[in-house]
Amino acid sequence: MSTGWYLAVSAIVFAIGAAGVATRRNPLLVLVCLELMLNAGNLAIVAFARMHGSTEGHVFALVVMVVAAAEVAVGLGVVVALYRNRVPVDVDELRELHG
Amino acid sequence: MSPAEAAWIVLLLPLLGSVVLGLGFRVWRGAQAGIIGTASVGLAFVFTLVSLISLLGRKEEGTRQITSSLYEYVNVGGVKVELSILVDPLSLVMLMVVTGVSTLIHLYSLAYMRGDNGYTRFFSYLNFFVFSMLVLVLAGNFVLLIVGWGLVGAASYMLISFWYRRNTATTAGIKAFVINVVGDIGLVLGVILLLRHTGTVDFLEAFHGAKETFGEHGNGSLTAGLLLVMVGAFAKSAQLPFHTWLPDAMEGPTPVSSLIHAATMVTAGVYLIARLHPFMELSQTAQTVGMVVGCLTLLVAGTIGLVQTDLKRVIAYSTMSQIGYMIMGVSAGAYFASMFHLATHAFFKALLFMAAGSVIAAMASEQNLDKMGGFKKAMPFTYGAFVIGGLALSGIPPFSGFFSKDEILSVIGEQGGAYWLLYVAGYAGAFLTAVYTWRMIFRAFWGPPVEQAKELEGGHLYHAPDHRNPATGELEDTEVGFPGPEHHIAERAPAMKLAMGTLALLAILGGLLGIPKVLTPLEKFLEPTFEAGLAGHAVHPGNGIIIVGLVIGTIVGAAGIYVAYLIWGKPLSQGQPATTHSSKWQAKFAPVHRFFLNKWYFDELIDYAIVRPVRWFGRFAHDTFERLVVGGAIVGGTSGAVRGASALVRRLQSGYMRAYSAVVLSGLAVLLVYFLTQS
Amino acid sequence: MSTLAVTEAPHIDWAGISSLIALFGGAVVVLLVGLLRARFARLTLVPVLTIVAFAASIGLAIWQWDEDTSLMSGALGLDPLAMIGVVGIGVAGIAAVLLSIGATAPREAAHGEYHAMMLVAAAGGAMFVGAENLITTFIGLELLSIPLYVLAATELHRRRSLESGLKYLIVGSVGSATLLYGFALIFGATGSLDYAAIADQVAAKGLGDDPLMLGGVAMVVVGLAFKSSVAPFHQWTPDVYEGAPTPVTAFMATATKVAALIAFLRLFDGALIGASDAWGPALAALASIAIIVGNVGALGQSSMKRLLAFSSIAQAGYMLVGVVVATKLGVQATVFYVLTYVVMTAAAFAVIEAAERESGHDGISALAGLGRRRPLHAIALTLSMLGLAGVPATVGFVAKLRIVQAAVDGDYSWLAIVLVVGSMISFVYYLRVVARLWTDEPAGVAVAPQSQAVEVEAPEAVATTTAVADPKGLPAAAVPGGGAVVVTGATILPMTVLAVVAGAAIVVLGVIPGPLMTVVEDVARAVPELFR
Repeated sequence: MSTGWYLAVSAIVFAIGAAGVATRRNPLLVLVCLELMLNAGNLAIVAFARMHGSTEGHVFALVVMVVAAAEVAVGLGVVVALYRNRVPVDVDELRELHG
Repeated sequence: MSPAEAAWIVLLLPLLGSVVLGLGFRVWRGAQAGIIGTASVGLAFVFTLVSLISLLGRKEEGTRQITSSLYEYVNVGGVKVELSILVDPLSLVMLMVVTGVSTLIHLYSLAYMRGDNGYTRFFSYLNFFVFSMLVLVLAGNFVLLIVGWGLVGAASYMLISFWYRRNTATTAGIKAFVINVVGDIGLVLGVILLLRHTGTVDFLEAFHGAKETFGEHGNGSLTAGLLLVMVGAFAKSAQLPFHTWLPDAMEGPTPVSSLIHAATMVTAGVYLIARLHPFMELSQTAQTVGMVVGCLTLLVAGTIGLVQTDLKRVIAYSTMSQIGYMIMGVSAGAYFASMFHLATHAFFKALLFMAAGSVIAAMASEQNLDKMGGFKKAMPFTYGAFVIGGLALSGIPPFSGFFSKDEILSVIGEQGGAYWLLYVAGYAGAFLTAVYTWRMIFRAFWGPPVEQAKELEGGHLYHAPDHRNPATGELEDTEVGFPGPEHHIAERAPAMKLAMGTLALLAILGGLLGIPKVLTPLEKFLEPTFEAGLAGHAVHPGNGIIIVGLVIGTIVGAAGIYVAYLIWGKPLSQGQPATTHSSKWQAKFAPVHRFFLNKWYFDELIDYAIVRPVRWFGRFAHDTFERLVVGGAIVGGTSGAVRGASALVRRLQSGYMRAYSAVVLSGLAVLLVYFLTQS
Repeated sequence: MSTLAVTEAPHIDWAGISSLIALFGGAVVVLLVGLLRARFARLTLVPVLTIVAFAASIGLAIWQWDEDTSLMSGALGLDPLAMIGVVGIGVAGIAAVLLSIGATAPREAAHGEYHAMMLVAAAGGAMFVGAENLITTFIGLELLSIPLYVLAATELHRRRSLESGLKYLIVGSVGSATLLYGFALIFGATGSLDYAAIADQVAAKGLGDDPLMLGGVAMVVVGLAFKSSVAPFHQWTPDVYEGAPTPVTAFMATATKVAALIAFLRLFDGALIGASDAWGPALAALASIAIIVGNVGALGQSSMKRLLAFSSIAQAGYMLVGVVVATKLGVQATVFYVLTYVVMTAAAFAVIEAAERESGHDGISALAGLGRRRPLHAIALTLSMLGLAGVPATVGFVAKLRIVQAAVDGDYSWLAIVLVVGSMISFVYYLRVVARLWTDEPAGVAVAPQSQAVEVEAPEAVATTTAVADPKGLPAAAVPGGGAVVVTGATILPMTVLAVVAGAAIVVLGVIPGPLMTVVEDVARAVPELFR
């Protein structure tokens, strides 16, 4: 299978993630969508790594996974803190800062 | 001490004064602050004299232009900017005027501002202004020039808005700031354009290479650069169409109007064009633009001055008009004459403002000419000063303004051709000058004394029942941020008398600096600066035109005064008995008076033929041109666009993070499309 | 291949990575010390140790100054550009620690964790500025960002703090993901992750107009523009700056800017220089949009932190100009600017933090009459504002002069014009702040906040709650519903020190910029691709 197909799939996943971030109001779903975007990048990297026959790319993908996990962990932490402060868990309600 | 060393000290002293007062405002309140401020500037004047004497001691050719560098400021990519000053006759003349007049105005403020609650702050600002002006004048390269240019703008803004709780003052400050920023942008861009070609920021180096860089007759980029630089000069010198800030700037305390908006800062544009004369001479277009703008300004401002009722605003329009002469002259190559007029104008205009300040103080801050009258007896000293200033301004011999103004016009007239238009316009302007100047004198000092004048005659200073903003009538208190409770007038304060007396003397004797063909010390002194560029360009007016000019100047000035007298000075015939003073005058000029025979007819004629059209034009220029074109298009348009953009940016800052993500993603989409079209 | 290759452990240059070790080691130590129960350990030892760690990283960076190699098989560069970045971040870190003394944020998050987080973020920044490989770039970026997300949300009981944390996290992650995808495309086009190899590949294969490559570059532009808050990817900046605790905002504003701009230089003027025909105009457009949006947006702001956020957007635009021109002069100009920016911003935030503690809010009105109450603070903030505006005799003027010169020299005169016009607009809001400092009388007591009561918590706030009259006889700040909060000179001593030092630096460097300029001369060595 040519790299082009992998790339197409990863682009679609990236677009889905992006669309989700821009439309979803639940922060948990937004975090999931961010995950999609990062992993779309990962997919592309792995595909290219195979195409070029290099191991560097695979290492990169592993690193990205760790980073993504850290990001989600922080995100969940903030969401929990919001919940405990009785702030509605909805990103559109969080707009005290604006202007 | 070498001239440059002395000049460095001159530069340092006001800065020191400003910093000391700025940091020590808790320690030095009251009189000490004024003395520190005045002393620093006075010492600067002394060192200017030292520098002058030292420079005069250098006789050999080419040793009177000294660039002195403190250290290398920036040196990157082959462009070296040093912290350097240029001491040459031109900068020394400016230095003399700036430090000299500043010292006197500090002296005046010592008493005038005494009752204000921001006394220390005032002197700190004023010293800062002097420092900035000195940086501008002494700058040895373009970068330092821009530095000084920006600093004087900031100082002017701070001083116009000195009474910061007064809305009209802060608005005026902002207006001045906006217009000056437009000018600053012009200057910076113009200099960038010029520097791309010269490759050096140093004045003397750039001037020496001017012809090699731009060719014998200049080129497009030189003209474009100069025109942009001139935008800066026009904005700072309140020339059309960037002039509206100057009348509004009269919201500042009167010593500020006297120092910044009459004697020094507003002449920076003239100095700039004189400084860049080696460039100017290569570009016919730039010279023409300068002459036309100067000429239009002197006419328009003169007519507007006729119809204003605010005492300080009349003088402000007069300042614009006089600077119009200088800009016209300096653009036409009349460098000595323009610098001469710059110096004499600084003397008599500062004097007029001081006298006006004295009247305003006596009126308890009222500035409306309609409400003044009859101060002649109450304030003889002020009256004398105002008359001397007025005579000098109207160009009556042998006062200083007579020689300097006619010098400019005769250099222009000598060049013939289309220059004749400017020549005639210049004398028309001189007529207007005499009329509006004497209108002020007749209305403020002649006629029946008003209540305030009567009280003063009785030995009491008039105090208004409550403090109001003279422009809007709003009630004010006398705390910091508003004018203080007490006001001082020249009749009683020795410091103010001393300052005004000295300036009056200078206004009378200033002409000695340059009586054509007879006594020309200023011209001889300035020669080293201008000779380099003057090859084939020097204009020396012939004897004929000089004599004709002096005669016309006298006649025009006297005629203007007489017209003013007929309209405003002559006592009303019915009901009110003529004062002895004016009836004597009437008797003296009986033949002239009989020549017009019917006074009603004459009054009508003047009214319909001269006064009404001029008034109409003045009103038109003020209401339509200033309000709509300048206020609306330039100031309003610029600030409106900025304000609108600001509202848009803040509206987009909606607070919705989904929207933010969407903006990031759409930005990404745009960039992707752009980059992919590049492939 | 069935035979296992004998792998040799890579050579590790311990001296080279010593400043990174100082930061990471410091983080571990601080975290452990923060667990101690003694008040002294938490309140005094932790900040001191954090400052020691920052100072050590600065010292070690200076020690390694003359080196010019790469470490970890080309993953990290050890050169003056990286070292100057470490120094800049270290200075920013020290400033932030000083501002945190006695602040609410470290109390709520526990001192150890708070300071450790700051050290880790700084370590991430240090990696980011030295990275010469796409992997280390990404790790550096995330290591810098993730602790900042946490730090922004540390005031767990303040809704705005949480909001700013979540906002930063979500919008920031979109930026990171975009950057990652861009890296993936560049990797795909060149088959390499090393900057040097990428530059070689672009030059050798003429990838300057390869769609895959350019798509990648576009996405990388977005990612880095986001980090350095270049418009139109700036929108998180004002909200996060305003919502985050002020010491964190100060750190974010300074350290992130240093890291992001240096990364910009390395990546674009280094690895991607071959495609500069494509990215040059795009970045120039972004820079001018940032200059306009930042300056115009700052005009009507009433919150100081928000105002500085918009100002930082404009400043990012100025700094980007040095990247755009892709010349040696440009690199030097940007680095010089970024360092001066750290100093000027640190001075501003020091004063804002002090005023915020006194009045409970960060509005410009809190600064009214500061000239009389605390002249030292007022002078420092005045200098900072004038410096940011680029007034002569401050270091900001020199910095702007260099950027303008680089722009004109690099045939981007129009960008210089935008820059000049933008700075003129900026005068309006900077001077508004200055005017507020010096003219308004303090209204008896410091201006009270609209609604938020200052959280006064025992026992750390003992110093602030005891009703000791101010030594200078200054009015106490009364907070409705929160009891009287007296801010003494001692409580804000760290801020005063920082403000005075930074303010002095603004003037001294403004009058004598020569030495710093000489230091910055060296940095261009780090981007050899420019000299091909």
